[in-house]
Amino acid sequence: MSSASSYWQSGAGAGRPGLALATEDKIGEIVDAVIAAAPECLRQRVILPAIDWSKVPPPKVSLLLLSLAEAGLSVPRWLSKALLLAGHKLDAGSAQTLTASLAVLNRLNAASGEWNEREAVSGAIATLAYDPDIDPAVVGALLRRLMALSWDEEALRLALAHYHRMPHILNQIGDLLETHVAQLPAARLHVSGSSTTWTLIEAIRPAFAVEGVRAEIAEGLYGSALSDLITPPTDVDALVVLLDFESLLPRDWRLGSHDLENRLVAEAEVLANALEAFSTRTHVPLLINTLPVPSAPTAGFLDRSHATGLRRAVDILNARIFDAAERSSRIVVIDADQALSSISVQEQADPKLWYYGRIAYSADATRLMARAFAEAWQLQGRGRAKVLAVDFDNTLWGGVYSDDGPERLACSHDFPGNAYQALQKECLRLKGQGLLLVALSKNNADAISVFEQHPGMVLRADDFSATAINWQPKPENIRKLAADLNLGLDTFLFIDDSPHEREAMRRLCPEVMVPEMPSDPAERPIWLRRLAATWPVRITAEDETRATLYAVEREARKAKVGAASIDQFLAGLEQNLVLSFVSSKTAARAAQMHQRTNQFNLTTLRLTESDIARYMNDEASGIAVQGRVIDKFGDHGLVVAATVDIDAGEAIIRTLVMSCRVIGREIERAFVGELLRALARRGIRRVRGEFVPTPKNAMVRDFYASCGFTQTSTDAGRTTWLFVRDASDEPASTFVTASWEI
Amino acid sequence: MDASASETTVSYPEIISIFADVFQYTGPLTRTTSPEDISRWDSLQHIALVRELEMAFSIRLSMDEMMEIRSVADIETVLQRHGL
Repeated sequence: MSSASSYWQSGAGAGRPGLALATEDKIGEIVDAVIAAAPECLRQRVILPAIDWSKVPPPKVSLLLLSLAEAGLSVPRWLSKALLLAGHKLDAGSAQTLTASLAVLNRLNAASGEWNEREAVSGAIATLAYDPDIDPAVVGALLRRLMALSWDEEALRLALAHYHRMPHILNQIGDLLETHVAQLPAARLHVSGSSTTWTLIEAIRPAFAVEGVRAEIAEGLYGSALSDLITPPTDVDALVVLLDFESLLPRDWRLGSHDLENRLVAEAEVLANALEAFSTRTHVPLLINTLPVPSAPTAGFLDRSHATGLRRAVDILNARIFDAAERSSRIVVIDADQALSSISVQEQADPKLWYYGRIAYSADATRLMARAFAEAWQLQGRGRAKVLAVDFDNTLWGGVYSDDGPERLACSHDFPGNAYQALQKECLRLKGQGLLLVALSKNNADAISVFEQHPGMVLRADDFSATAINWQPKPENIRKLAADLNLGLDTFLFIDDSPHEREAMRRLCPEVMVPEMPSDPAERPIWLRRLAATWPVRITAEDETRATLYAVEREARKAKVGAASIDQFLAGLEQNLVLSFVSSKTAARAAQMHQRTNQFNLTTLRLTESDIARYMNDEASGIAVQGRVIDKFGDHGLVVAATVDIDAGEAIIRTLVMSCRVIGREIERAFVGELLRALARRGIRRVRGEFVPTPKNAMVRDFYASCGFTQTSTDAGRTTWLFVRDASDEPASTFVTASWEI
Repeated sequence: MDASASETTVSYPEIISIFADVFQYTGPLTRTTSPEDISRWDSLQHIALVRELEMAFSIRLSMDEMMEIRSVADIETVLQRHGL
C-alpha cells in the first residue's frame, strides 16, 4: 500500500525507521532524475505517467515545467491533468491547451479564496455542472478544492449535477446537502413496494434534491404495495410504488402451463383492480414503475410467447399498468426499461442482495429508478417545457448563413447534412407533441428565408410560432418572446451550439432551461430525445393545436434586460485580444476572412492572399493587422483583421472584417482602438475610414461613428469618416484586454 | 511503535473512509473492529457496507463473502483474496 508520507519528506516508517528514511531519499533522487530527463521521458512517454505528483513538492513541478519548456515541448494533456489532479497549478503557457474543466481546476488550485476569484469561476462551474462527459476524477478534484475554499454554493451545485453518474461525490460535500435540502420545498411521499424499499428510499432523497425538492418519506410496511393502493395513505403528496416481478408474482412450477396462465391473468387482474381502486379513492398522484425486462428467461428464445415465459408474464402485467394509467391521469408510470437503459440487464439486479434481504434491484438500478421517480414527480407537477427556442447556425444547419450563403448550408439527406436534418425532424416531432418552436438566432432577419430556399430544410418558416432573428443579445430576445407569447421564462428550453450563448442565457435568464448540447452534431438528435424536459406527460389534442393558437395571438410587446447584467456577462468572459501584424503564416486566414465575412465587413473588398502579402513588406505604405481572441472558454483563433494604407502622414482603413462569432462582445472597439494607437506610434494622427453598404452589412453602418470618427462625406449610402487624434479618444473596451504579439 | 500496533493497524485506508460514509463512524478503527463496536453496523447497513466495498475496489463479493465479513480483519482477508 502507498505510504502516507511524501517523496521529499523523511518520515519514521513502521518498525525500521532507518531503512525507511534511506528508501524515501532514494525515491526523491529518482524523481529528481526523472525531472531532469523529463523531455526524453515525455517523448517516449515513459516513467512520468507512473509518478504520484501529489507527493512531489511544487518547486520540483516548476522545474519539470521549465525543463519541458526549455526543450520546446508543450505539456501534453495527460500530464497537465495528472499535475492538476495532484493539486498543482500550471503557468499561463502550460495552461493554454487545457479542457474547460481542467482550466477551472487550474484556477481553483491557484486560488487563495478571494471573492473576485470566486466570481470568476462561479459561471464556469455552472457550465461544468451541465457537462455530461466530464471526467469523474476531475469532478472529485474540483469538489475537494471547492470544499477547501469553502465555496459551498459551487460545490453543492457541482455535486448535485453529477450525482447520478458519481453517487459517491455526495460524501465529499459533508453536510452541505442536508443544509441545502432543508430549505427546499417539500414533497411528502409514501413509499411502498412489493419487496424491500429502504434502498430506494435512501436513493430517493438525493434524487429529489437534484430536482430541487425535499423528499419527506413515510415508509410502507414490507410488501404493502397492493394494500396501499387499495387503501391509499392520507396526508401525502404522492404514493410511490416500487414493483418487482419475483415478489409480485412468484411462479409455481408445479402448475401446468394452463394453470400458470390462469394464475397470471388472475394476479394481473388483482393489480389492475388495485390501481382502479386507487384512482377512485384518492386525488394524489401515484408514481409506479413497470417491471423491467427479466435478466434471464424462463423459456429461452420463446420467453415472450410461451406460457411459461417470464418475459411474457412481465408484458402482461405491464400492459395492465399502462391500461390503468390510460384511464386515470393521476397514475404516472415510470417505464423501468427506459429508466434503466444506461446499464445492462445483468447489472440491474444483484442476486445475493435478493437472497440476503429481498432487495430486487442493484445499487445502480435503485439509483436510476429513484432518479426516474424524481423526474416523473417534476414532470407531473411542473409540467414539461412549453417552448423550444432554437438557434440557427450550426444548430439547425451546418455552417453560418451570413458567411456561407443559403446554398452552402449543410442540411440534406446526405452526410454530414443529414445529422442537422435529423435534428430538424426532432424539432418537428416536438412541435407535433405540442411544444412551440421559436427561432432565436443572431442573424439578419432574412435568415428565415433559408427554410424556403434551401431544399434540405425540413422545418418551414411557419413552423415557428415566433421569431427573434437579429443581433440583439439572446437573453433580451427571449424575454421579449416570453412576453409576446405570454408565457413564463421557466417554460422555455433553449438549445444552442455556442457555449457563450448558453452561459449568457443561464446567467441573465436563470429560469430558462439551458441544457449542455453535445458538440458533435451526430449526437444531438438522440440527445434531444433524452431530454426529460421535453417528454410529454400526456399528449392531448389541445397540445397539438397550441402552436397554431400562439402564432395567431402573437403581438409585439417590450421587455428589457438591464444593461448592467450584459456588462457583467461580458466582464465574466475575461476576453483577451492579441494583435499582430499579418505574416506569411497567417495571410491565408486573413484572406479567407476577407472572402467569407459578410456582416461585419466595412468595405467588402475581397482581398486575396497576394493582396494582403503586399502589406507585409513595406510598413511605410501600409500595414495589415489581425487579432486573435482568447477568453475563458478557449482560443477562438484569428477573428478580426484590417488593412491600412498609409500615405503622406495619413492613413485610410481599407478593409476591416470580423467574424460574427464574436459580434456583440466589444472586440471590434478594442481592435480599432489598438489599431489607431499603433498608427499614432508611427506618427499618424489622421485616420480615415469608409463604409460601403451591401445587402448584408447594415450592422456596421454606424460603426465608425461609435468609435469617435466624424463623417466627412456621403454618397448613395456610402460614407467616409475621419478620426483625428487629440480631437477624439481612441475607442476601448473595459471587457477586452488588448496586447500585441510581435 | 511496537509489533502489536502494526498488527492491528488497518492496511487499506479506503476502509476508514467507507466506515465513515456508511456508519458515520470516525472513532478508532483497528483490524479487530466488529459490529459490537459500531452501533450502526446492523444487518441493513451491512448491505451498504458490501456495496461500498464492491464499488471502492471494483470487485464483486459473493454471498459467502458477505456472510464471512464480521470484522475489519475479515474485510482485509477478503480483499487480499481478490488480489488487492
